[in-house]
Amino acid sequence: MRPQNSDMGLIVKTMARATIPLIGIFGAYVIVHGHITPGGGFQGGATIAGAGVLFLVAFGLSEAKEKINKNFYSVLEGIGGLVFLTAGMLGLGVVFFYNVLWHKGPVFNGEAGTLLSAGYLPIMNLAVGLKVYTGLVSALFAIALFRRWKK
Amino acid sequence: MNVLPWVIITPLFGAFSMPVISLLGGKFRGHWAVIVSGLTLGIAAKVFYTIWKSNEILVYTLGDTNPIGNGVKFPIRIIWEVDLFGALLALTVTFVSFLAILYSLEYMKHDTGLDKYYALTLVLELGMIGIVITGDIFNFYVFLEIMSIASYALVAFRNDTWEGIEAGVKYMFVGSLASSFILLGIALLYGQYGTLTMAYLAMKIAENPTLISKVALAFLVGGLLFKSGAVPVHMWLSDAHPAAPSSISAMLSGLVIKAGGVYAIARIIFGIFNPGLHSYLKAFDMPALNLNTLGWIIIFFACLTLVIGNAMAVVQNDMKRLFAFSSVGQIGYILLGFGIGIVAYGDKIGEIALTGAVYHIVNHAVIKGLLFFIAGAVIHQVGTKNLNELSGLARRMPFTTLSFIIGAAAIIGLPPLNGFASKWLIYESSAMYNPILAVIAVIGTVFSLAAYTRVLFTFLGVESEKVKMVKEPGNAMIVPMLVLVIIILVMGILSWQISDKIMLPTAKMLEQLNGEYIMALLKFIGGG
Repeated sequence: MRPQNSDMGLIVKTMARATIPLIGIFGAYVIVHGHITPGGGFQGGATIAGAGVLFLVAFGLSEAKEKINKNFYSVLEGIGGLVFLTAGMLGLGVVFFYNVLWHKGPVFNGEAGTLLSAGYLPIMNLAVGLKVYTGLVSALFAIALFRRWKK
Repeated sequence: MNVLPWVIITPLFGAFSMPVISLLGGKFRGHWAVIVSGLTLGIAAKVFYTIWKSNEILVYTLGDTNPIGNGVKFPIRIIWEVDLFGALLALTVTFVSFLAILYSLEYMKHDTGLDKYYALTLVLELGMIGIVITGDIFNFYVFLEIMSIASYALVAFRNDTWEGIEAGVKYMFVGSLASSFILLGIALLYGQYGTLTMAYLAMKIAENPTLISKVALAFLVGGLLFKSGAVPVHMWLSDAHPAAPSSISAMLSGLVIKAGGVYAIARIIFGIFNPGLHSYLKAFDMPALNLNTLGWIIIFFACLTLVIGNAMAVVQNDMKRLFAFSSVGQIGYILLGFGIGIVAYGDKIGEIALTGAVYHIVNHAVIKGLLFFIAGAVIHQVGTKNLNELSGLARRMPFTTLSFIIGAAAIIGLPPLNGFASKWLIYESSAMYNPILAVIAVIGTVFSLAAYTRVLFTFLGVESEKVKMVKEPGNAMIVPMLVLVIIILVMGILSWQISDKIMLPTAKMLEQLNGEYIMALLKFIGGG
C-alpha cells in the first residue's frame, strides 16, 4: 500500500506546474471581468480553487500543508465577506446596497461595458472571488485532513 | 436614517469578522458574539417599536429608493416588507438568540472550533431575521437556505459521537427535499406571473388564478410543513433537535421551525394567496381560488400533529427527545390557529384564532428556549439526558428544577403563566368554530401534561447514584434561564394586556382585511 500522503509522480507534477498558473490567470480574468462578461466572483473563485485542488492532489497533503496556512485562509475568507458587506454599505446614506459609486463616483463610474464601470460590482466580485477561493480550498483541505480510514 | 438594514448588517458583520476576532484569542469570540447579538436585539426592538407605534407596514427597497423600475410600472427590485407580525418575530428571534449565545459562553466552553460555532449561530440568526422581514419571495428562499444550511451544520457540530452526525445528515436530506419543493413552487409562480415581489404577486394571482398557482401553493405549503415539522414528516425533528448542542436546540425548537415554517406558511397564505381577496372575487363570480380547502388541510395536519406529537412525547426516555416531540405538538396548536384563521377568515372567530396562533409562537419560543436550557444545564452538570438516571435532581439543582416546573406548567397552559392565554384563545376559537377540534386540542394537552408530569416526578423522585455530587451550573447558564423565567411570569401576569395591545393588532395586520400588504406596495406604483 502506498504511504498516505504520497504525491502523484513526475508526469502529473510537471503538468500541474505548467497548468496551475494558467488556471489561476483564467480564474482571475473571470473575476475581474465579472461585471461585463458571463461569470463573476463565484465562478472565478471556484476556478482558482480548482488550481488549489490540483496542487493538493498532485503534490500531496504534506507539501500542501507547508504552502497553505489554514488559519490564514480562514481569516481571508472572513475579510472577503467583510469587503462585500462594506461595498453594500457604501450607499447606506440612501439605502442598503445603493450603488453610490456608479451614481456619484469617484471610481468605477466609467462608461457601461468598460472595465472600470458598474460601481460596487467589481469590488464585490473580487470579494466573492476571494471568499469562494479560500472557502473551497479550506473545505477540501478539511476533507483531506480528516479522513479516518484504518491503516 | 432607517434602522431596518442594520438588523441584517450587524449579525452579518459579526459572523464575517469572527475569524479575525478569533486571532485575538479564544475568549473574545464568545464575548464578540454576545455583543453582536445584543446589538441586533436592540435594533430589532427599535424596529418593532416603530412599527407598533405607527401601525403601518414598513417597505424598504434595496439598491434604490423606489422598487418600481425605470420606465416600467411594476416592481423589479428586492423589497423588504415588514409588518407587525414580521417585526414581532424578529424581536423574538433576536431575543432568544441573544440568550442562547449568552448561554453558550459556559455551555460550549469545553468544545473546540468555537469560532465556527459562533459564526454559524450568528448566520442562523441572520437567516431567520431575513425570512421575517423580506417581501420578495426569492429573497425569502435565499434566507431560508442560509438558515437551513447553518442549522444542518450546527446539528452536527459535536461530531465526536455518531448521534449528531446521523441527525445532521438526516436533517440535511429532509431539509434539502423540502427546500427543493419550495424552490419549485417559487419557480412555478415566477414562470406564470413573471414577478417575485410578494405583494405584486398577490395582485397578479388575483387577476388570473390559474391551476399553476394552485400547484405552486401546494408545493410551497408542503415544503414548509416539512420545515415546520408537522406530523407525517416530523421524523427529522425528533432526531435533529436532541442531537444538537442544547443552546442550538433552544434556537431550533423555539425559532427555526417557526420562522422557516409556520411564519412562512402564514405569510404566503395571507400575503400572497389572501383568502379575503379570493372570497371577494368569488362574490363577483370571477375566477378565484378556494382557500377553505387549504384551511381544512392545514387543520387536518394540525390535529394530527398536536395529538401524535404530544403522545409521542409521553413515551420518551431521553429528556431532549421528549422536549423535541413536545415542540412537534405545539406546532400543531399554532397550525390549528392558522387553519381556523383561514377557514373563518374575516370573522371574529378567525381573528381570535390568529391572535392565539401568533401569541403561541412567541410564548412557545420563550418556553421551549427555557426548557432546552434546562436540559442543557442537566447534561452539562450530570452528563446524561436519560430520564431513568436523573432521578432526584431537585435537591441538588433546586433552581433548575424550579425553572423546569414553571416552564412545564407554562407549556401545558396552567392559568397564571403565559402559555395559558395563547392556548385559551386557540381552544376558544376552535370550540366556537367546531367543537370537535376543541376536543382534539384538549386531548393533545392531556398528553402533554402526562409527558411533563413524568419528567417532574423524575426530578422530584428518590436520589440516584448519578446525581449525588451534582451542583448548579455557573452564572452564564443561570442568567439566561432566570431571564426566561421572569419573562414567562411577567407575560403570564400581563397576558390579556399583551394580547390586546400587541397580539391583536399583529393578527389584524396579518389578516389584512383591506389588503394592506398590497396597498403598501401600490403606494409606490401610484406615485412612481
